[in-house]
Amino acid sequence: MTAVATLVVVLVLFLTPYLWIFLTSFKTRLDALADVPVWTFSPTFEHYPKIFIDKGYLSLVWNSLNVAIFSTLLSLSIGVPAAYVFARYDFAGKEDLFFFFLTTRMAPPISIVVPMFLLFSLIGLTDMPIAVILAHTTFNLSLVVWMMRGFFADIPREIDEAAMLDGHTRGGTFLIILLPLASPGLAATAVLCFILSWNEFLYAFILVAFESRTLTVGIPGLVTPHGTLWGQVAAVAVVATLPILLFTFLVQKHLVRGLTFGAIKG
Amino acid sequence: MKKISLLGWFYRSSVYAAALFVAVLGSTNAWAWSLEEAAAPYKGTTVRTIGESLPPLEAMDKLKSEFEERTNIKVVIEMYEHSEAVSKVMLDLNSKRGRYDFILQPHRELGRFVKSGHLEALEKYMNDKKLRDPTFKPDKQLYQGLWKEISWYEGKIYGFPFTALTMYMWYRNDLLNDSKEKSGFKAKYGYDLKPATNWKEYTDISEWFYRPDKGFYGTALQGKRHEALWYEWLNFLYSFGGDMLDTKSGSECGPVIVNSPEAVASLKYYKSLMAFSPADTLNYTWDDVMALMQQGKVYQLIMWNDATYAVAEDHEASTVAGKMGFDLVPQGKGGKVGQVEGWTYLVPTYSKNKGAAYLFIQWMMEKKQQLNQHLNGGATARPDVYAHPDVQKISYSKASMDTNAVALPKPTIPESPQITDILVRELSGYLSGAKGAQAALDTAAAEISNFLGSCAPLKYPVY
Amino acid sequence: MPVKRMIGVVLDHGIAPLLLIPSIILLFIILVGPFFYMFWTSFTDLHYALPGREGSFVGFENFRRLMQQDQIFWHSFLLTLKFVFWVVTIEFILGFALASLLYHYIKQQRFILTLLLVPMMLAPITVGLIWKLLLQGDFGMVTYYMRMIGIIDLRTAIMSNASLVMPAIMMIDVWQWTPFVTLVMLAGLLSLPKEPFEAALMDGAVRWQIFKDVTLPLMRPIIALVILLRGIDAFKEFDKVFILTGGGPGIATEMLSIYTFRINFKDWDLGYGAVCAFMVYLVVLIMCSIFYKAIYWHEGRAKPAKVKIS
Repeated sequence: MTAVATLVVVLVLFLTPYLWIFLTSFKTRLDALADVPVWTFSPTFEHYPKIFIDKGYLSLVWNSLNVAIFSTLLSLSIGVPAAYVFARYDFAGKEDLFFFFLTTRMAPPISIVVPMFLLFSLIGLTDMPIAVILAHTTFNLSLVVWMMRGFFADIPREIDEAAMLDGHTRGGTFLIILLPLASPGLAATAVLCFILSWNEFLYAFILVAFESRTLTVGIPGLVTPHGTLWGQVAAVAVVATLPILLFTFLVQKHLVRGLTFGAIKG
Repeated sequence: MKKISLLGWFYRSSVYAAALFVAVLGSTNAWAWSLEEAAAPYKGTTVRTIGESLPPLEAMDKLKSEFEERTNIKVVIEMYEHSEAVSKVMLDLNSKRGRYDFILQPHRELGRFVKSGHLEALEKYMNDKKLRDPTFKPDKQLYQGLWKEISWYEGKIYGFPFTALTMYMWYRNDLLNDSKEKSGFKAKYGYDLKPATNWKEYTDISEWFYRPDKGFYGTALQGKRHEALWYEWLNFLYSFGGDMLDTKSGSECGPVIVNSPEAVASLKYYKSLMAFSPADTLNYTWDDVMALMQQGKVYQLIMWNDATYAVAEDHEASTVAGKMGFDLVPQGKGGKVGQVEGWTYLVPTYSKNKGAAYLFIQWMMEKKQQLNQHLNGGATARPDVYAHPDVQKISYSKASMDTNAVALPKPTIPESPQITDILVRELSGYLSGAKGAQAALDTAAAEISNFLGSCAPLKYPVY
Repeated sequence: MPVKRMIGVVLDHGIAPLLLIPSIILLFIILVGPFFYMFWTSFTDLHYALPGREGSFVGFENFRRLMQQDQIFWHSFLLTLKFVFWVVTIEFILGFALASLLYHYIKQQRFILTLLLVPMMLAPITVGLIWKLLLQGDFGMVTYYMRMIGIIDLRTAIMSNASLVMPAIMMIDVWQWTPFVTLVMLAGLLSLPKEPFEAALMDGAVRWQIFKDVTLPLMRPIIALVILLRGIDAFKEFDKVFILTGGGPGIATEMLSIYTFRINFKDWDLGYGAVCAFMVYLVVLIMCSIFYKAIYWHEGRAKPAKVKIS
């Protein structure tokens, strides 16, 4: 029972700020900035239409979805096979190459983004979503390769051998046996890639045109010298989390699975 | 013979008259200018611009449809947060991409752009008969001081003022006129409660209204490590008779005087006001103090003209709408002073549609558009708009105009934004107790002088 | 799916390492290229705002300036190191504990986990704005209750107080990223094979013994992964700190990334900014290499076939 109590406390701590922002999205400015916190109030529904329709932020949601989904797909489709290779094969310089993948994460984006911008200008890709998708893939790849190698490595080699004895090819083993077994890791990785790409600011701001800017890039525009528009900021925050919540929830059924290794061995 | 010469004379006169007539007609035609005609060669092009998403830009977004209908030139406006707007432009100009046909930028960035050859001087467009609207006379129709401060550099014209922001004193008029407050104040300090005209009065009034147990404060400082701090402190610096560089205009480099005795005095005084401010004052920018005033928790502030509407007139956002009074910043040794911060129209060298851009800018500077922008939260540079009855009705127009008239030039040299950053860092360090006032300003002065080079020696040497 | 089939074909023909090529190409063009440009820039005087600084070679001038004159850089450096150490440690311990809790005791993991991940789902900018509102001295909800409970007094405001600001930021980071650790650790726990645990139980091992001798070794790669990833990301922490304090009061929260941002995007001194960035990169690289070698990667998993019960 202490477990449940602890969990409740943790949930309260984690979720209260989010709840507060949710409430704020329905408060008038006076209520939002009252010095005694206001928990009950008469709600206003003006912020949502103002930001999403009047200011056109709905199209930013589409832009964000576009970038996040495609960069996740790209990272996974390139990175998962690479992780598999690291997990199951040996070749000269393997560990150094693996470490190289990690180093791609270390360079501060602040300094990389300007040369990246110039590079994309040269190729003529600036202002197109593909530029950001590629940029996001560069940091998500290291995540995918590192995480998935771990999860593949946790699957004992005996399973591979058993599968091949059963007549699967190497390719089949990977696709039919190992991927499903690694699905908790795959699910976690997919969720993380999506979240990191959806929320990313710097690359999305510099590399993409005004018309294709993502929701995250649109947020600073709400901090005006005429006062931060807290109601609208809150509305954007709430709506920005909805696709992620949905995505996470759907993908999670892979996180919890009841397979035992015994079933395969037998 | 006489008959013939009379006829001859008549004949000659009518020829001369006809010639004169034709000449007059001809010259009037040369001056007949219409927007539609001027825009004809640019039909179908798109003009793209970028600026900070403020009310005047939103007003421009609504106004542009009339221009688009008349000229068939499409106008696209990209709206960003302040530093985003600056960053995007800097990258665009340096990569010479030419994405923007004209831009709106803070006037302190002017030096950076001009010296690197990124901007077009507008004189040649103004002298181009095909583009220039003869009824547009900026040398007569704009506040010259503002225009020169915001859009000129080293004697050349690079643009026109988009909006001209100033700071002045806000106070609670209703409390000022409250009889209990008046009698209590007079009893304690010996003079009548009125808008502060010097810094001693400002302190007394702040002290009188400092009631933390009731959640009410005398004043509040914009003390966060943010440009807001620099802007606010400048009012004090100027008022105490100090300045950052010893120059006559913004585009000059000159001796560094930011660590002068006047400057140190102004800084120490500025910090003394923390005693009458809320506890979180070192976390405030203009955003927070504005909210504070809207919630009715502070008596007086030094604040921006473009934030005034939301506090003084907007009943939905403010509990003190209709209760505010405005006046110039209190005077010290420096007398009546103010500062101006402007956004200016500029045309990049790499712009692909310079003519069309110029036409739009010129059209926006017309009285009708300027009036509309001003009434929608802008701050125009046209005196005729200020004289308009609708504008006169606004409660803070007078304070705005008065401050415009006494504004001191700010540095617009390329190093200007960096000077600001250095100062903000040192000021913030001083306010948070990390170092003393003289030490903070000395460090700043030394660093600025070092950075600017030989044109900016230290007038008050640091040992 | 054609992609799947292609992968299958490559694997079947024993040229598996070819599968690495797409990632390497992508990384080289989009990342390594710009990285070397940045490295080159650190030897030039490139400056976007000052005239005449088009990027001519200046040798080690920028490096010299960094090493000899720039005290703020080194202050930022130490500050960031402290920050990384504390947040990674706390997040790791809390995250692991939470993951274990979920793994052992909770049935509806799917739903609960989604809720727990909420702090991580918010964009870092949004996190900065939300906590700015919560910790504001006059209308912040958290400040109000902290004062009510008595953690801070009425005249104290966290964000204005140079000694309270950094702990506050660390706390916000823990709030934001512990879910990340929880997620990865839980996924790791869920993919552990069952036999070592069954074997240990049959041998009569006690709970904490199992944890020490079976769980920890098996989880080692995942633990190393999480610490490395969080460490690297914490070093680059920028968004929320910038919004909350701008590096202030004074330089109390001037993290390395904020300092680098200022040089690159406010001053536009790209040459010097490149040196700062390169320095950061170097330090992170060295630290990670050391850590990586210390927790050497195990191929497959450790084989705790025999659990020593004393």
